[in-house]
Amino acid sequence: MSEHDFGDLRRRDTERHLLAAVDESDNSRRTVMFLADFFSDSQNVFVTLLSIIPEPSGDFFPTEVERRQWLAEKEAAMRNTLAGYKEILIDAGFQDGRIETRLSIRPCTSIGDAILEEQEKLRCCIVVVGRRGISHSEEFVFGSTSSKILHHAKHCAVMVVE
Amino acid sequence: MAHPAAPLQEAEIRALIAGHAGPDRVPPRFKIITDTSDFFRVEYNDVVVLGGVPYWVKRYEKEGRFGIDDEPKYWVRRAIDLNTGATKILKLVFHEQFEATVGAVKITCFRSPKKEARVLDLVADHKNFMHGHWVLDAAGNNVRILEFIRGPRFDDVVAGYGTGHHDYFHNYFPKVLDQYLDLVLAIQFLHDHGEKHGDIRRDHIIWDDETQANRWIDFDYNYEQSESMFGFDLQGLGNILIFLAGRGDVLVGDLYHNQRELFDTLWGEDLSIAYKNRVANLQKIYPYIPDSLNRVLLHFSFGANIFYETTAQMLDDLTRARADMVSLTGRQA
Repeated sequence: MSEHDFGDLRRRDTERHLLAAVDESDNSRRTVMFLADFFSDSQNVFVTLLSIIPEPSGDFFPTEVERRQWLAEKEAAMRNTLAGYKEILIDAGFQDGRIETRLSIRPCTSIGDAILEEQEKLRCCIVVVGRRGISHSEEFVFGSTSSKILHHAKHCAVMVVE
Repeated sequence: MAHPAAPLQEAEIRALIAGHAGPDRVPPRFKIITDTSDFFRVEYNDVVVLGGVPYWVKRYEKEGRFGIDDEPKYWVRRAIDLNTGATKILKLVFHEQFEATVGAVKITCFRSPKKEARVLDLVADHKNFMHGHWVLDAAGNNVRILEFIRGPRFDDVVAGYGTGHHDYFHNYFPKVLDQYLDLVLAIQFLHDHGEKHGDIRRDHIIWDDETQANRWIDFDYNYEQSESMFGFDLQGLGNILIFLAGRGDVLVGDLYHNQRELFDTLWGEDLSIAYKNRVANLQKIYPYIPDSLNRVLLHFSFGANIFYETTAQMLDDLTRARADMVSLTGRQA
């Protein structure tokens, strides 16, 4: 394995590995720009750009064909977005080898829980998320991913980018 | 799920209608429908054959019992099972997507026949839900055939209890609270099986005169949740509890016009998070409401700092509130 082999999980226990959970929103873009600005000079920081696409229930679509089509379009759009985020980091000075993109399509009742599962799997020391800035009543109905991560994260730091 | 049987002939159906309603009531002309894709084609007196069973179609339903603000629901038809004479509700397939507004929040909702069919199977033996079965029509549409529930809406029953709030709260509310607990337990049953109700509103609870139990109806809605899978359902439960504890909605406008001294005690944080014109902190209006019950209500107020994430959390607090109601009123139910 090379010195900076990204697949070597043991290395990650001693390295600075950020997990940035992103989607297609403006606040995710701001999060990536913050990382680019704040960490690009740090040569020993690794970044995983993670996006979770909750697999939609068949209930939402008249047919399975339409569901699969929706999922394929969503996946293509997200891969494109992740590539764009990676470009932002590279343009800021990150080396290509220090950035990984990861797209997880999975049944999911909580995106926050899914992000924390990935954090545990990848042994990242910091989870970085953007904040939607939702209102009180929106948080009541929808819940808040950043609040969930703040309250439930273990063995890592959490950074919430406003 | 039933399977299609040999096609029924018009003469057989005429004989069945005559046997049920008398020869004079057999319509001179009617359609026999096996493909319900175009539900507007299904008209009064037509016969829809599903799984080999002929259903004689009567009127369509309106919101208030089944589903949007007093508008006719052309895909929901009352019908008579010509084999048994029982009244049924036929819910035909209508894929609809719309934005529901809860306070200032917009939420994308879907009408899903598949979801309702699945829940019908799940609650087949549960007394607090409407019952029915589902059949695929000749074109593969999932048609739900529901048992007709005879009885009034729960909220109408409650609004008629007592001579005033004090009388209601001390003499009727303990029983109402027990009935509400049954309804929350029923929703917990759904959630424990990974299902939501999807459209929890007080007009979606019918008091069944025959079984003497409240029953949730209309669970074909689903919605895109974000972090909180059951948040929308829990909010609906909270709105209903506020209505039940107040023996109706306590409206800010009414207080302003009729009870200014109470209006002057209210802050924004006392109002319902879902409906800003309704008071959630009811203890300010009715001081005899126990703290334990009021604390549950405050979870649904603008001033709430924490929200219920599960029905179990809410039930824990409601159990304490029920004990305090027994102490206050001396009534077990």
